Amino acid sequence: MTDNNGYISKRKFMEELRRYEKGSVTRRHFLGVTGLGAATAVMGTAIPGLRPSPALAASDIGDRVILATWPNYHDPENFEIFTDQTGAFTQVNVFGSNEEMLAKLQAGGSGWDVFVPTNYTITTYVSEDLIEPLDLSKLPNYDPAAFDSRFAAAGTVDGVVYAVPKNWGTTGLAVNSKHEGGNAIDSWKAFFDRTMDDFSGRTMVHDYQLTTIGNALKYFGYSFNSIDEGELAKAEKLLIDAKPHLFAISSDYQPAMRSGDAWLTMCWTGDGKQMNSDMPEIRFTLGKEGGELWSDFYAIPKGAPHREAAYALINFLLDPQVNSREVLAHGYPSADARTDALLPKEILNDPILYPAKDLLDALEFGAAATLTDPNRAELMARFKSA
Amino acid sequence: MTQRERNWLLLAPAAAWFFVMLILPLSFVFVFSFGERGDAGGYVPAFTFEQYANLPARFAAFKNTLILAPLGTLAAMLIAYPLAYQLAVRTDPKWRLILLVLVIVPFWTSILIRSYAWLFILGGQGIPRLLDFIGIEDVRLIYTPFAVLIGIIYGYLPLMVFPIYVALDRLDKRLLEASADLGARPMTTFFRVTLPMSIPGMATGCMLVFILLMGEFLIPALLGGGKVFFVGNALVDLFLQSRNWAFGSAVAMMLIVVMLVTVTVYMRLIARLNTQRDDDVALM
Amino acid sequence: MRIYAFCVYLFLYTPIGIIALFSFNAGRHASQFQGFSVKWYGRALNNPFVMEALENSLMIAFTSAALASIIGTMAAVGLHSMRGPVRAIFDAVIYIAIMIPGIVIGIATLIALVTVFDVVNPWLAGLWADAEAAPQFSMGRGSVIAAHTMFTMALVVVIVRARLSTVEGALMEASADLYAPPWVTFRRITLPLIAPAIFAGFLLAFTFSFDDFIIAFFVAGSETTLPIYIFSSIRRGVTPEINAIGTMVMAASLILLIVAQLILRRDKKT
Repeated sequence: MTDNNGYISKRKFMEELRRYEKGSVTRRHFLGVTGLGAATAVMGTAIPGLRPSPALAASDIGDRVILATWPNYHDPENFEIFTDQTGAFTQVNVFGSNEEMLAKLQAGGSGWDVFVPTNYTITTYVSEDLIEPLDLSKLPNYDPAAFDSRFAAAGTVDGVVYAVPKNWGTTGLAVNSKHEGGNAIDSWKAFFDRTMDDFSGRTMVHDYQLTTIGNALKYFGYSFNSIDEGELAKAEKLLIDAKPHLFAISSDYQPAMRSGDAWLTMCWTGDGKQMNSDMPEIRFTLGKEGGELWSDFYAIPKGAPHREAAYALINFLLDPQVNSREVLAHGYPSADARTDALLPKEILNDPILYPAKDLLDALEFGAAATLTDPNRAELMARFKSA
Repeated sequence: MTQRERNWLLLAPAAAWFFVMLILPLSFVFVFSFGERGDAGGYVPAFTFEQYANLPARFAAFKNTLILAPLGTLAAMLIAYPLAYQLAVRTDPKWRLILLVLVIVPFWTSILIRSYAWLFILGGQGIPRLLDFIGIEDVRLIYTPFAVLIGIIYGYLPLMVFPIYVALDRLDKRLLEASADLGARPMTTFFRVTLPMSIPGMATGCMLVFILLMGEFLIPALLGGGKVFFVGNALVDLFLQSRNWAFGSAVAMMLIVVMLVTVTVYMRLIARLNTQRDDDVALM
Repeated sequence: MRIYAFCVYLFLYTPIGIIALFSFNAGRHASQFQGFSVKWYGRALNNPFVMEALENSLMIAFTSAALASIIGTMAAVGLHSMRGPVRAIFDAVIYIAIMIPGIVIGIATLIALVTVFDVVNPWLAGLWADAEAAPQFSMGRGSVIAAHTMFTMALVVVIVRARLSTVEGALMEASADLYAPPWVTFRRITLPLIAPAIFAGFLLAFTFSFDDFIIAFFVAGSETTLPIYIFSSIRRGVTPEINAIGTMVMAASLILLIVAQLILRRDKKT
């Protein structure tokens, strides 16, 4: 079970223990050298006494931090480095929608330390008293001046900083260009029209009211955030007409796109980048009518059980070196100029990450009302059960 | 200690458990179903029948469930019965236990992983590709009601096999021998002796599977591609997406009522099938 | 008939075979096989969260199945010789327990426990001289065990009663007529007769608990069970690590089963 050197003499063990006690080696080093690492990782949870007490750990942030985030959104190696530096393991919980995150926090007992809300949700978290104001003195790597205010502003509510920016991105469409037949799909109009025509049975839409309804609204040129009853009714009709032609209603579209079962899907920036890197025939583009522009944040929920570890993790992930590795792994652009300075040119010129200005200008940020509007939620339920 | 006292003592732990973990939580759901949704979701105390008035908005979900759940139950029973029969009656006792446990072993791997395997089998790289070789082209299996049905049968087979097995296992083998000795053909023995004796097991199995299917949500969500919408999916969405706890509670209450009605009707039918036996066997 | 049984086992085990096959995939994605590798097994075994989730799941499944078998069997035996309104109420409760979908149990339990804890915890803190040291209830393994036991106990009652109703009452009456104390009658006559049903109930309860996602998802608080871990990982894109976990769980249960069978065989011979 251990990939370490296995055997260690008693004397060597005592030496290492003494070094460890004096603080000259980290807990990670000590556990690694003595082969106790893997053993404690397994046993520690079984026998509480074996769990290294926080006082003994290399830093005093405890041995774990729990992160609630989105799919395909981190470089796993960064968490390993974080563990090496601090002794704390990161548990990553992945969610499918902001509604789901909010639901879990509203219900209580989530146990999270750090979560990743999207711009339009933060005011709701503040009004529901679910989010902690950030103590910026514990986040030395956060430099407000380095961040593009367009993507950072939503983290501050009434002058209080509740969240610091993670990444931003867009919601566009990904299409397998082998099947386009020379007639490129570049708008939401084409997305739905072609779905009901030569892409029948091959299209996926998100299981997420914000984007699925939002993009159906864009078909008619309405606002992505519309809660107008007449406009929603037209979007509903479009969705229900298209439903028999859909391959699936699911936000987990990468496997089906990769296997060739699906040819066209609503798609977030990073997923588009990840698929395009592996399979160049999968093309990512924005609908030319517009669509969603969003930015994600790091925040700490009220009652986080490992608050110090939460600050340490956020601070670590905001380190430009770390952040640039994140961007390279997940393909979502950062709003941090210091991070951009470390990224290779081809990433900074990639039209998937950084769309042309006219396309970008047509996009809208999601609105808080869109998240909580009961009519949109009911519309989605009718669409799914139709 | 009288028998009466002993019975009370035997029942006490279960009664306490059911009260704290079932009756109490359900009372909350009942109370919530008369409330209202908060502005940001959740629950706001109120006394209104509005949520119940809204129930027709989930008619399609109830309809889908009430079609696919009985269909899946029936299919699972038709597949499970011969297997349970084979295991209980025809198998060497020394293999019986291991074969029985083999029915349940796949279920120690998460239903989530197994559904993903089905996604592969039913997806473009799986069965449709094999069919392609023999000339049947462009078969779409994945994300259809058929895929959900396969998933349901797969997911609930052991629940069906076990009760039928238990019923057949306690069947006195001498009865079968006697029937054969008296010159009855195997088919006659089966329909006159075996099948009637196994009705309680079938009834239990069908009821368990039907009831669990009525609340199913993972299989339609994973294999139906979000297009096959059960009441369970409606509930998950109401609690996890739109966070309309009041309406969700009303849908849950409605689901309980629908189940009570269908199960009661079903029990009556079984009881009639089984009139020669006393009320014990009707399982209620 | 044998061919039929074989086909059913094939149906049951084909997905398992696919899972095992892809666990040896060198590539990251579950849909394309890119060469043979065992690295995902190493990854899974060295991932502390996988091991913690697995251990939680085993502990929860075993505890709740054991509790459900014991309490459920007691209730079934108690109910068997009972008539009247108490039995009718109990029957109703058991059927409601089985009938309530997992999602409703999950959310209802969460709402109820959170509300109750909010009342009880400050009160407990008030009782202790040092409020910091006072025991506090919170969501975790305990709440998952309690919820699973509630549901699986109902299953055990139904299964054991189906069996009890078919065993010969005459045997038990004879035993009582011979002035055997009730406990002796139970141990010598009833228990052996209903043992297969209890065993079946235990297995079902264990399986249900080990495989349950939705109840645990709501009531586990910050604890992770294996299905919760898998659900969360599947959203991250299924890597063969998940397949490796599934394959190891399967292999371990098969080995246990074979060992158990061998021991039983040997016992019978000597």
